[in-house]
Amino acid sequence: MSLAFVSAAVAFFQAPVKSLVHLGWIDITVIAIYFAMVIYIGIYLKGAANTSEEFFMAGREMTAWIAGLSFVSANLGSLELMGWAGSAYQYGILATHWYWIGAIPAMLFLGIVMMPFYYISKTHSVPGYLHLRYGDGARGLSAVCFAFMTVLMSGINMYSMALVMKVVLGWNLNFSIWVSSITVAIYVALGGLRSAIFNEILQFLLIWLGAMLIPIMGLIEAGGWTPLKAQIAARMGSMRYTHLWSTTAHFRDNPMGIHWTGLVFGLGIAISCGYWTTDFLVVQRVLSAHNLRAARMAPIIGSAFKMMVPFIVILPGLLALSVLPYHLVGQDVAVATGQHSYNEVLPLMLVRYCGPGLLGLGVTALIAGFMSGMAGNVSAFATVWTYDIYGAFMNKKASDSHYVAMGRWCTFVGVLFSVGTAYLVQHAASIMDYVQGLFSFFIAPLLGTVLLGMLWKRATKAGGFWGLFSGTCTAIGLFLWVHFNPAALRYVAFSPDAKAMAEDMYRAMWSCSACVLVTVVVSLMTQPRPLVELEGLVYGASKIPEEHDEHWYQKPIIWASAVAVVFVVLNIVFW
Amino acid sequence: MRGHIQIWFFSGILLLVYGVLITGTGLWELSHPLVNPPVLYELHAPIWWGAIMTVAGLFYTLRFRPR
Repeated sequence: MSLAFVSAAVAFFQAPVKSLVHLGWIDITVIAIYFAMVIYIGIYLKGAANTSEEFFMAGREMTAWIAGLSFVSANLGSLELMGWAGSAYQYGILATHWYWIGAIPAMLFLGIVMMPFYYISKTHSVPGYLHLRYGDGARGLSAVCFAFMTVLMSGINMYSMALVMKVVLGWNLNFSIWVSSITVAIYVALGGLRSAIFNEILQFLLIWLGAMLIPIMGLIEAGGWTPLKAQIAARMGSMRYTHLWSTTAHFRDNPMGIHWTGLVFGLGIAISCGYWTTDFLVVQRVLSAHNLRAARMAPIIGSAFKMMVPFIVILPGLLALSVLPYHLVGQDVAVATGQHSYNEVLPLMLVRYCGPGLLGLGVTALIAGFMSGMAGNVSAFATVWTYDIYGAFMNKKASDSHYVAMGRWCTFVGVLFSVGTAYLVQHAASIMDYVQGLFSFFIAPLLGTVLLGMLWKRATKAGGFWGLFSGTCTAIGLFLWVHFNPAALRYVAFSPDAKAMAEDMYRAMWSCSACVLVTVVVSLMTQPRPLVELEGLVYGASKIPEEHDEHWYQKPIIWASAVAVVFVVLNIVFW
Repeated sequence: MRGHIQIWFFSGILLLVYGVLITGTGLWELSHPLVNPPVLYELHAPIWWGAIMTVAGLFYTLRFRPR
């Protein structure tokens, strides 16, 4: 019996025979040191996670730098790293929009406009803010959607990483999934959000150290940026791959099938603001800041680093277009023909330039990317489940220690759900596309609800709930309409030439608009809340604490302006 | 902050250890060249990249060491 169990276990974790590269002892040592360090940090911080405020909010003691780097790192999951590097290979420099217009304005808006309301309301989560502003209806809807989608996204991230590790390093899929997820579960369950944040800082550093050599070596090989553009143009037969905006006047003129209106209004406003200002996965990091100034500076610091991420993600994809001696293909074709897929471009470039030691560092960077994303997901899941579902609707009067215990168990349960999703996706890969679409269903309408809640005193409880509900239904309805009748794309995205990403952007724009419209109409038809109840929640009804900076250059608005100027200049340079 | 050791100290230690390991590997490869070297192997990236990490790691370890 025991022999059969051992044999089954060995088969379960057995490595595939074929792989692109084999790691040496030095690479394995580098990876092992990383795992030892993250678990040690979890054990070390266990003593500082005894109360719910400590476990879920890291005691609200983080500095602006720590909260800001963690804010960006939690978003740098494996899909973000390997997926967007693959998109850069597939669509060219247009993929940079997801890091610039699709992030920077929203992050600055969060720091300058929205953060004071999140912070002074002393909420522990975004659904928690909806509870204070709109009551339990909007909170429940948002919390359930968020908890459900978070573990699903975490599982998809996990599967993406494990698949690439299997193809490139020959690692067994089960081994990658279980070892990395158990490690995340241990350090988050032990040290709570503080442990997740500390490790995210470490992971952010490793991602840069491990991945930065690729663009440096790649630019040396290509001879610089100008020769690289010429090489891509010669190889692809078009200049469209190296221009950010000049090819977006029509859907047919660029590889992504996208129009600038979709980029600006759909991505830049609905999706970007929806994600960066209302997705609790990232907002939770900023809420852990030790004062209002740190909370406002954190997204601004994060935005400066976010603006640089294309250097280690997008540029390797573009370099691969020029220097790789073979062409990469889509995932389906790769599985059928044994070729390499777009998603493998980052590890392939890593293998191209890095020998023993550096290869281990690069692989550690990819694992760190996955683990930071997953830790972000499970810590946010544990918080929302404990505070906004369990504590709000199931057990309102439990002790503080009970909620901390629930948070620790939730961490393991969230990881288990994520692992389950990873296996589900393994057997039905198309689920991945649907789940990513689903995620945008909830994020864009939530932006309308939160923004109106913060900026418009007249918004009511009923308006908030029905606005969020109708915005979500609009997104689902539009998705199903195009799914069953592709010709409907000409109405949703204004053109039959639009492609999948353009559809996502316009769908987000419509669902956010529907949410705003319904919230306004229903609010005007229902009884407003007394002004006194809105203190600390809404613009015009709240006194924002004054910040006394000793010097002009310490003001958040100065740094936000500096980031905004660099953002505009970069867009013009790569126009 | 309740933890006595700052995250920057942990970062410094990790950088220092990685820097020493990677620089050491690069130096070893000078006398024992790889059979299948990566592209631009002649630039000896492990030596200078590892050295940068070692210096940065040393700085953060000393600057943020627990007192």
